[in-house]
This record gives sequence, C-alpha cells and structure tokens, in this order.
Amino acid sequence: MTDVTLKINGETRSAAVPPETTLLKMLRESFSLTGAKLGCDVGDCGACTVIVDGLPVNSCLMLAGQADGREVLTIEGLATPDHLHPIQKTFEDCASLQCGFCGPGVIMSSKALLDANPNPSVAEIRDALAGNLCRCTGYTKMIEAVQQAAQVMRSAKSKRAA
Amino acid sequence: MTKKAKPARTAKAKSAGIGQPVEMSGTLRLPAVVKQVPFPIEALSPKVRQQTPAVGQRATRPDGRLHGLGQTKYIDDMAFPGMLYCKIKRAGIASALIKKIDTREAEAMPGVMAVITGKDIPVNSFGPSIKDQPVLADDRVFHAGDGVAAVAAVTEQIALEALDKIKVEYEPLTPIFDPVEAMKDSAPKVHPPVSNIYATKLIKKGDVEKGFRESYKIFEATYSTQMVEHVPLEPHCSIASWDANGRLTIHSTLGRITLGRTDMARTLQLPLSRVRMVATIVGGNFGGKNEITQEPALAVLSKKTGRPVKGTFTRTEEFIATTTRHPIIMNYKTGVSKDGRILARKVRLVLDGGAYCSWSETTLGKACILSPGPYNIENVHSEAFVVYTNKTMTGAMRGFGAPQVCFAYESQMDEIACELGIDPLEIRLRNAFHEGSSSPTGQVLHSVVVKDSLLQAAERYGWKEAR
Amino acid sequence: MRAFEYFTATDSKHAVALLAEHAPARVLAGGTDLLADLKSSPSHAPKTVVDISRAADMRGIEVNARGLCIGALVTHSEIMASTVIRDLFPALADAAHTIGAVQTRNLGTLGGNLVTAVPSVDSGPTLVALDAQVTIAGPAGHRTMPLSEFFVAPRRTALKPDELLVEIVIPAENLGKPAHFLKMGLRKGQALALVNAASSLRIDAKKNTCKDVRIALGAVAPTVVRAKTAEKFLEGRAATAENFAEAGRLAVADAKPISDMRASADYRKDLVAVLAKRTLEAACAQSKAAKQKGARK
Repeated sequence: MTDVTLKINGETRSAAVPPETTLLKMLRESFSLTGAKLGCDVGDCGACTVIVDGLPVNSCLMLAGQADGREVLTIEGLATPDHLHPIQKTFEDCASLQCGFCGPGVIMSSKALLDANPNPSVAEIRDALAGNLCRCTGYTKMIEAVQQAAQVMRSAKSKRAA
Repeated sequence: MTKKAKPARTAKAKSAGIGQPVEMSGTLRLPAVVKQVPFPIEALSPKVRQQTPAVGQRATRPDGRLHGLGQTKYIDDMAFPGMLYCKIKRAGIASALIKKIDTREAEAMPGVMAVITGKDIPVNSFGPSIKDQPVLADDRVFHAGDGVAAVAAVTEQIALEALDKIKVEYEPLTPIFDPVEAMKDSAPKVHPPVSNIYATKLIKKGDVEKGFRESYKIFEATYSTQMVEHVPLEPHCSIASWDANGRLTIHSTLGRITLGRTDMARTLQLPLSRVRMVATIVGGNFGGKNEITQEPALAVLSKKTGRPVKGTFTRTEEFIATTTRHPIIMNYKTGVSKDGRILARKVRLVLDGGAYCSWSETTLGKACILSPGPYNIENVHSEAFVVYTNKTMTGAMRGFGAPQVCFAYESQMDEIACELGIDPLEIRLRNAFHEGSSSPTGQVLHSVVVKDSLLQAAERYGWKEAR
Repeated sequence: MRAFEYFTATDSKHAVALLAEHAPARVLAGGTDLLADLKSSPSHAPKTVVDISRAADMRGIEVNARGLCIGALVTHSEIMASTVIRDLFPALADAAHTIGAVQTRNLGTLGGNLVTAVPSVDSGPTLVALDAQVTIAGPAGHRTMPLSEFFVAPRRTALKPDELLVEIVIPAENLGKPAHFLKMGLRKGQALALVNAASSLRIDAKKNTCKDVRIALGAVAPTVVRAKTAEKFLEGRAATAENFAEAGRLAVADAKPISDMRASADYRKDLVAVLAKRTLEAACAQSKAAKQKGARK
C-alpha cells in the first residue's frame, strides 16, 4: 500500500491505498469527494479536473502517491455554507450546466484560469477550457458564465482594495 | 512494500472540539445552504385561453445549484454496503462460435465472488423490438463488443484481473462488415437462418418514372454517413440489489426505465411486480441510454452473491458495447424542371444496423419518411433497408435517422442549384413546404414555417451580402 | 489498471538505481502517456513503476556554457511560461501550447513527450530543427546524442531499459537562432498532428541569403525527419517567397506519410509543402525583426 498524506480543501487527510490508485479514485472512494467525475479515465474529457498546488490537472492521470504532500482543491472546496463561489453563481445564472456531469471539471478549470488571469479574453477562456468536454450544454453559455464571474471577482477585489 | 520519497508536509489539523467555534472559511463540511431561487412555476402557468407566458421568460434551472456545487449524485457516486464490482469480458472477435468458456481460474481468485456466462441468464435475449441481443453471448459472438462472461469481485481491480484469467475458445466465422454486401444472398448470415435484411420500408407517392420523364434534368448521387457514438460524459452504470423477499431493485442511469423494467422481468423470468427500477440523474443520454445492456448480468451476479453489484462501463465499452448512430448509404435520384422545381425523387437507403436491431425499426421509418426532404414533390419513391453486420449495434440517437438523410438531400439541393445556376436559398424557397402541404406519407402539415425560418436565417447571416 | 509496485525516486541517480534493481520497470514522469497506456492495454502492465516526478535534479530551465538546458521533467506549461524560452525560442513555447490541453500540459513533461516518441510528437520538430542534444543517464554514467538519433521508430527510442532521459540541450551556438513551429490538427485543442513542422535558419543580412537551414517534419514518417533536400536547396539561396515555396515543395520528397482515419497521405503531403513554406517564412521574418531590434539598440 502507498501511504498518502495531503491537504484537501484546506484539511490534512491521510489514506493508505494500493499503488495503482489514481488521485481521482482516492478522492472519490477514500474521501467520498465524488464531485470530480470519471468520464474517460485517460485525460481527454476533463470531468476529473482538480487543482493541485494551484494548477488544474486530470486527477485520473495522477497516481495517489504523486499527490502525497501536495495541496488539492476539489469542487467541494469552493463554496462555503453561506456563499457560492462567484463561478458557481454565474454558472447557475447563465444556465451553463445541463446534465452537469462535466460541470465540476469545467468550474475547476475556470477557477484556475481566473486565479491566474482575472480578465481573460474569449480566446483565453476557450484555451483554458479546451481540456473539458461537454456534450449537452455546449460551450457558449460556459464562456459567458466565466466572463461574468471574472467581472464579479474583479469588482469584489477592487472593493476590497478600496 | 512501498518506499516513501519524503515525509509529507504535515499541515496542522484544525481542532474543532465541542463548544469551540469552527473555522469554516475555505473548507467544506456541508453543502452550501444559500437559498435557491424558486422555479417560477406560477408565473409560467397559462390562464384559460391564454398563450403560455413561459416563452421568452428566463428561468433558473432547478438542478443547476447542485450541479455547480458538485453535489449532484450520479449513479457512479453511489455505493451500497457490501457492494461488489462487475467487469465484463468482451469477445474481441467479430463473428465466432463459442466452443468453451473456462472460468475456473477466475473463480478461484481471492476476492472474486461470482463469475457468470450467458448460460446463467434465464432468458438470454432482449431488444426493444426484435429480441435478438444476448445479455452475454453464449454460443455465438455477433460482434467484437459482445460480453461473454461477467465477474463480480470485491474491488474493480480484482474484477479486472479476473477477466484475464477467463479462457474462451472460439471457432472463428467469416464476418461481414459492409451492409451492401450483407444484403446479397451469398453473404454470411449474422443471425442464421434469418436474412441479414431485417426490416424494410417503402413509401410511394405519385409516379416517379413519369416525373423523371417530364424532368428537364436528372441528378443522381450517393451519400454516406459514418457511425457516431453518443459519448455521454457519464458512462453507462447500474447497481443491482435484491431484498430478502426476492424483489430486485436496479438503480440505473437508463432513460427509459419502464421499458428496461419489462426487459428485466423478461430476461430474469420474474413477474413485473418483483422488479423495481430507480432512475438516477443522467449525465447525458442522447438516445444512447434507451435500453438495458449489462443489467440482467448484474442482477444474476447480485443474486448469486447476495450483495449489491455495480457495473460501470469504461469509455472503450461505451464505444464498442453500446448503441451508436446508423451509418446510412443513401442513393438519391432527383428530376427537376428548368426553374429548379423538384418533379420526382427516388431514394434508396441502406442502414447499417450492426449486430442487433435495437431501435433500428424506428430509425428506418423516420429516415425513410423524411428522406425526400421538406419539399413539395409530387412523385416520390423511397425505399429503405436495415441490415445486420458484425459491428457494434446501431440504435436510437437524436433525430432517429433524420440528420443522415438531411445531409444527403441538402447536399443534393446544393448540387442542383449549382448546376442550374440558381441561388441555393432561392431553390429551397421554390420547393419548400408551405401551410397545407402534404408530406410524402400524405400527412397535411400545419404551422409550416420553413420559408420564414430560411428567410430569417438568411437575413441574420447576411446571405445576400455574402454572395 | 492492473496492480504494480511503486517506488519514488528522489533524484536521477536514485531513479537509475531503482530501474536497475527492479527491471523491467516503467518510468512515471507526468503520467499522461503512461497511465493512459496502462489503463487501456493490460498487456503493458509492468511489475514496477518508478516515479521520477520528484527528482529535483531533472527540473529547471537554464542557459549555461553548453546552451539552453531543459530538464526532462519540465512540463509543457513551464515551457510556455518560461521567459528564457520565450525570448530565445518562441517556437518551443508555441509547440508546447499545441500539446493536449491545460490539464495535460500541467502534468506532461518534455522528456516524457520525447520518450513516448509517437511519430506526431509535437515537441520533436522544433528541437530537431535546433540541433538539440539529449543527455541520458544510465548505470555507467551519462551519454549524449543528437535528438534526431534518439528517435528510433514509432514509440521506440535509443533508451535502454535501465536508462533515463535527463536533459535536453540546445547547443550554445544556436541560442536565439530564428525558428518557427506549426501544427495542423483536426481541432485546435487536444488534437494529434496530421502534420507538424519546424524550421530554423539564419539570414545573411547583406546578401539576404539563407544559411544553416533546418526543416524538421513530424507525423509523416516513423520518426521526426529532416527535409534535407529542401534544406540543401535553400542553403545560400536568396530568402524570397519563391524559394521558400520551392523548398516547401521539395520537403515533400522527404515525407513518407501514411493514410489513416485522420487524413490521407496525399493530404499530408500537401500540408508538408504548406507548413514547411510557412515556417521558413516565419523564421525569416523573425530573423529580420531581431536584426531591426538590434539595429535600433
């Protein structure tokens, strides 16, 4: 077994898993964090996207052991009991999620984008979401939601600064 | 057994003893409790003799909140106590007789709780119309994605390793892949002794030969489309469990659970009242989750082991072992007048049905009815055949054959317009259905807006300016 | 995935020792190719996986006396973000940007991309066009070889089972040599190249002629190939649109593409001519822009 200790959504957690366990499987089965989904299991669909040390990655392409000592943020770590994350709010407002299966991955990719680039162009959003496939909603409403969230996050930031 | 590279960075765990305030920011312990905007049902309900005011209104999706929180529970997010995992051994050969299946080595593996083959399924056939699909192929393989054995084990990993231990002896048969070839008498039969052509449709209106004689020009072409998989982001997944009274519950991501329920009752020889189907939230369907696949096998495994059994398809299985869109070979012969009016159209469609019928009859009918296009044509002859081949089965997918024929008749429309020197928009306007037009099957059509929508689209696109 | 044993290497030396100790083992760097392979092909399941992703000495991008040295574990995202690389070889950053999508670029490494050695390897052509060398660590120490010889066949390299690719070096004399990379895929994101191509050259400012021309093509032969006929043609010739177009046509001679479900061989040949021409033109423009910038200084 591989011993893994990592920080998930701000909390330190540990698990002992077989070496061939992916980060995705560990999140879903050892920690019951089922927000990240298994869609293709080979890094094409992005439904398993989580943020590791600030970068979005396919958790199906990372062994649990590789995540040892790292910081992982999953969709479950975005909202607080009182507040949705602005991206979650705008995705809801823009009806950007239809069946919703790709949603957690798309939102995590969007979060990583907006953390690094508070004012992305449409081309930059498309580039950031290229690794997230959606079959129902389509991408137009998602791009709309990311733009709106960027605006919300920018104005919140400038308010805080003032 | 495993070496650790370096001690993990240990972050201090936050203590949250009784009576102490819990620091919640940045962590998630509960789903967010932000008030949901109610779905404005009242505002949307029409009054008597009033057009519904829903059109044009913006409503929040009632399920959007949980989707965005990652809290929506799809079936693969569920687990029952003691649940086992099922994996299915795929044939990997397109056409063959199964001589022998040896599951002993797999059964002996620690962690393997049960292994079954087609012989263990009480009635090993199902299908929405023709019951030609085995749950697990028992004496003959019809396409490479056929399951031949199913394993239930305590982990997915063990189930997977057990598949390698199952030995299957095949006697290969000559497969047939080309639907046109498969129509010939000399072709190997996919389901002997039944003919490979398993459904046909013919629509006749007016006299096409007369129409062709009167035509200024006749256009003939063949169009073909490819097989398409639905690729829902959520793979097929079901969980089977039995209660102590011998009642079966299937949790499943299937779309048509009532139909699935009858199929389950039939394959398992159970009274309908003993089968309960629970539909879970669907992560994309598009017609690909319209019938059962592995569910009877899961039920049998669950009964054998006395434990709930979950089966989740891999992405590969989604492609090889679930239905796909029919590839169609479409011959179009169209006679037109000098001003581009269609006088006669003869269509011949060959649908590649793959190994099983599934929803082919529905697809065949719709493709055939829609094949002349949304145009006023006096003389129509449209015939369609759906044919067995040793390929992944084709079935329902958005449009049931309509997109394929649309590709053909619109392609030909452009070719006609180009040849006659008529604007592609104009030629469509000259032929398109209008209020009261009758379809090739004689249905009188109302609320016909083909021309309006064409004109509006042209205006918004800037059709004239672009030309 | 089938079960395997898992060892984590602290540095390249440790990794080589682990490979020798647990042969035959497979190396895990970014995992984007390895894990996908292990999941889809049970027969490829190894007994042991050696995780080198924490080998600190295989990271980093630096310019030293040998040239531009890129650690094998540098990810595609790191290449895109590196100011050193963007200053010296924007083509390398462009090539990295065409690989997979954000998530896979954050995991996938340059070394892994080269070791997997698919014919369409997107980081291959630019590096070959810049005469890159690779450093290989083994039980007997280090050896180096040109990247063009490192690729042996589809999915096969010169690496022995107990060896490790540790570093990629673009020689010092090529630092800042104008180069350009282009890729044609069926989509913008997550696409395999139908054809990819990179060219590098220097322009003699006085005579406006080309020298040190390199044209490298991917996805049109078992490995990345140089279009030597076209290179020879351009050497010493005037940097004109006609000559670049002719070089593009000649480049087709060195391409032996196959027809597959993505494109026909003929279509790929047409692409070779177009991409070779465009990369040459862009590299030439880069050279001229650099000179103007230098003149202004």
